[in-house]
Amino acid sequence: MKKSSIAGMIIIAIAICVIISTYADSSTYGSFSDARNTESELHVVGQLNKQKELFYKPQQDANYFSFYLKDNDGKECKVVFSGSKPQDFERSEQIVLTGKMIGNEFHASKILMKCPSKYTKDEVEVTEVSATTAKI
Amino acid sequence: MDIQFIGENLLPGKLGQFFIILSFCSALLATISYYFATVSSHGDTFQKQATAGWQKIARSAFGLNLFSVVGIGSCLFYIIYNHLFEYHYAWAHSSTTLPVYYIISSFWEGQEGSFWLWTFWEGALGIIIVLRGKTWENSVMTTIMLSQAFIASMLIGIEIFGERVGSSPFILLRDAVPGPIFSRADYLTLITDGNGLNPLLQNYWMVIHPPTLFLGFASMIVPFAYGIAGLWEKRYSEWIKPALPWSLFAVMILGTGIIMGSFWAYEALNFGGFWAWDPVENASIIPWLTLIAAVHVLIAYKNSGHSYFTATFLVLISFVLVLYASFLTRSGILGETSVHAFTDLGMFWHLVAYVAVFFILMVVFLAIRWKHLPITKKDEETYSREFWLFIGALILSVACIQILATTSVPVFNAIFGTEIAPPPNVIQHYNKWQVPFAVVIAFISAFSQYLKYKKTDAKKFYVSIAVSLVLAVFITAGAVYITKVYTNFMYILLTYAAVFSILANARILGDALKGKWRLAGSAVAHIGFAFLLIGALIAAATNNIISVNNTGIGFGDEFAKSNNPRENIILYQDEPVNMDRYTVTYKGDSTEGVNTYYRINYQVLDTVSGKVRENFDLYPNAQQNAKMKQIIASPDTRHYLFHDIYTHVSSVPLKEEDHEDHEGHSDEENYEKPISHEVNVGDTVRFRDGFITVAGINRNAKIQNIPLSEQDIAIGMQLKVNSKGKSYTSEPVYLLKDGSKFDFGKTLDEAGLKFRFTNVFPDKDKLELMVYQKPKAERSWVVLKAIEFPYINLFWGGTILMVVGFLLSIFRRNKELKQA
Repeated sequence: MKKSSIAGMIIIAIAICVIISTYADSSTYGSFSDARNTESELHVVGQLNKQKELFYKPQQDANYFSFYLKDNDGKECKVVFSGSKPQDFERSEQIVLTGKMIGNEFHASKILMKCPSKYTKDEVEVTEVSATTAKI
Repeated sequence: MDIQFIGENLLPGKLGQFFIILSFCSALLATISYYFATVSSHGDTFQKQATAGWQKIARSAFGLNLFSVVGIGSCLFYIIYNHLFEYHYAWAHSSTTLPVYYIISSFWEGQEGSFWLWTFWEGALGIIIVLRGKTWENSVMTTIMLSQAFIASMLIGIEIFGERVGSSPFILLRDAVPGPIFSRADYLTLITDGNGLNPLLQNYWMVIHPPTLFLGFASMIVPFAYGIAGLWEKRYSEWIKPALPWSLFAVMILGTGIIMGSFWAYEALNFGGFWAWDPVENASIIPWLTLIAAVHVLIAYKNSGHSYFTATFLVLISFVLVLYASFLTRSGILGETSVHAFTDLGMFWHLVAYVAVFFILMVVFLAIRWKHLPITKKDEETYSREFWLFIGALILSVACIQILATTSVPVFNAIFGTEIAPPPNVIQHYNKWQVPFAVVIAFISAFSQYLKYKKTDAKKFYVSIAVSLVLAVFITAGAVYITKVYTNFMYILLTYAAVFSILANARILGDALKGKWRLAGSAVAHIGFAFLLIGALIAAATNNIISVNNTGIGFGDEFAKSNNPRENIILYQDEPVNMDRYTVTYKGDSTEGVNTYYRINYQVLDTVSGKVRENFDLYPNAQQNAKMKQIIASPDTRHYLFHDIYTHVSSVPLKEEDHEDHEGHSDEENYEKPISHEVNVGDTVRFRDGFITVAGINRNAKIQNIPLSEQDIAIGMQLKVNSKGKSYTSEPVYLLKDGSKFDFGKTLDEAGLKFRFTNVFPDKDKLELMVYQKPKAERSWVVLKAIEFPYINLFWGGTILMVVGFLLSIFRRNKELKQA
């Protein structure tokens, strides 16, 4: 057998290991109830509860941000993120959290938001000239 | 009934749309003609006479295609440059306030503009093939024009069987967006400005990064087309020679484009780094790596006759991967895994078709020609360059497979209906695999330079690399000690491999300077690559967040335990804070256009004498958008030779928007609760920052826009204000008109005051004055993150060296081509 064929086969074997490992490394999407039952980090997809408080007071702690998220099963949980409040957070339509449950709080290590960006949104803003009012 | 809209300029759009159709049809015609020109040239004599005719048609069609592509670009530029907001593209991507150079970037912000860029470059490269391709013109151009037709079809944007094909940049706003205002004939007068360019893209790198990147993508088709042509015309080994300089060109340009993007991310985005293994970044680096692998095996085949299939396969798959990359980034499939915002223009299956057609083209040609491929049965020598070029190419390919596998997770999810999430720590996941690959590649890139083709004397080989191997041990020991990467065994190994590669290739370069110029290009490129590896390793492994915050009130021990380190620090104005070896002070902000710049002063004090040894200001900025309650922050970086100090604001107090008084939202909300006083001339009233004296009464006060009759009374109260030692005057007015009371307040913005003269009490001989004060200004602050990137210049410097190396190699291979 040719040496290059042997090398090729070894490489293919490594490639298969690589692909298997990719899926071994991969995480799962879950809900807060799943997060309660596992020790490992997982992804939770959900929507921000805009009625409840978004807590970020840098004067007290510049690295503490908490909010309430409703996961796709409709369950709500307090989420804590050790960092500053991400830009554009309030306008997010959907949030993907990576992290795990600690006590009754979900501690997120990463937050990924999907926002209706101003720059992709198709909504015409109209400016109309308003009537002049009496002023000194 | 049709509405006659006023003020629309429809000509450029109609002309542009015409050019799109023309470019599609001419590309199709050129493809067909070039196809027949190729086929007929292999037939009998009668057919051969037809070749010239077909070629003539094909060339005219190609010329027409070029003309229409330039026409599309001109029309689109005209529309954006003249702010014709009746067109959706201009409205969505530009605004009247954009300077000209950003108008250029808004041109390719949208998918349509970037497709145009692609088709433009592809056409431009076509010119070179037509002029210089000689016997290759017909067959190579067939493939290129097929791709041109595909890209043009992406821009067509007309409905066929109820499905919209492609997305035209010339679609009108009123057709693209539903809205009641479009029922008005004069709707254009209501649209005063466009959406503008995404502020993150308002950076000079965004002017040149996309054209470079797309030139890189476009040039990847040329080696592909040569490969297909070689198989098609049975010129199996002939195509390698002309394809080699083209591959090098594509690798050089695409590499430059990727690095520009990386530099833009480092300079303008605040994710704090130069590479994040984001799917979009991966999508562009995968074809780059496979084509680099291809270049190496092309050279191996050219010199030894080995690795034919690997070379051909890698050249072909590289372009298919370019198409796959454009599918990933443009179809919206990446969805939840990428931070990049994608707009899905509904071209999912169209993009799939583009990838599939070229993939099938590749598979079919490889399959039907399989038996004729010049694959050697001979075994390579272990001590031969071609063997290790082959191994190197395989390792690069496996590295690509790893990146591809993880990046494609959303694609697998879509195909198999699974719900696999990407790894929780993506960067760690990639580094775990890519670091060992990089080690092996660096070693091979060093020692294979000392191997000869066919057979090398093993003893001589070991002797020649021994010196570099030993010397590298000492240099590595020093380097890991200074740069502090000795904590991880793989890091040390990578440093060693890279140092070895630099030394070994430097010796080759030394020989080159003595006259053996042939290997200069590869030596320089390999040295650049090794520096890039070391730079990336050190900067990524030892970057140091210096804004570590140990204050904060803490939210329970549990929180503190699991969440160290805390990376953001709050700075109050004019209050110095110690950060690493710096004393950092926030000195205030200034606003310039849409950006607010925060002046952050860094000082290094001598610990003994207390003297200032270093003193500089950084101006990280943020675009505030009070309406949306958000900021878009961009960093500022202090560059040193051996490290960078990178700083961005994570949070700032939001500025209030200045707004006019209008219904339901009174100006008085900006003030504290007013205090009313009953006063007379000569009285003095106190407030927080000073006092107010009623100086007199003006019985002939006039009010703009309101005519006064005999019976009406307008009185002004003349006030002298003393605030913080400064004097001002003000005169609020009281009006009795037709028996009704009105009052016209006066604001005094300099002192943060507002006065209203609200009533007159003739019985008490008193006047009522209401004083409004603005709330005391909060202490200004910023939340800041600062990172030190050590030795990052090795990374940038390495990339520049690598590009220079590619350039040298292109010259060499081009010269060989001419000599042949």
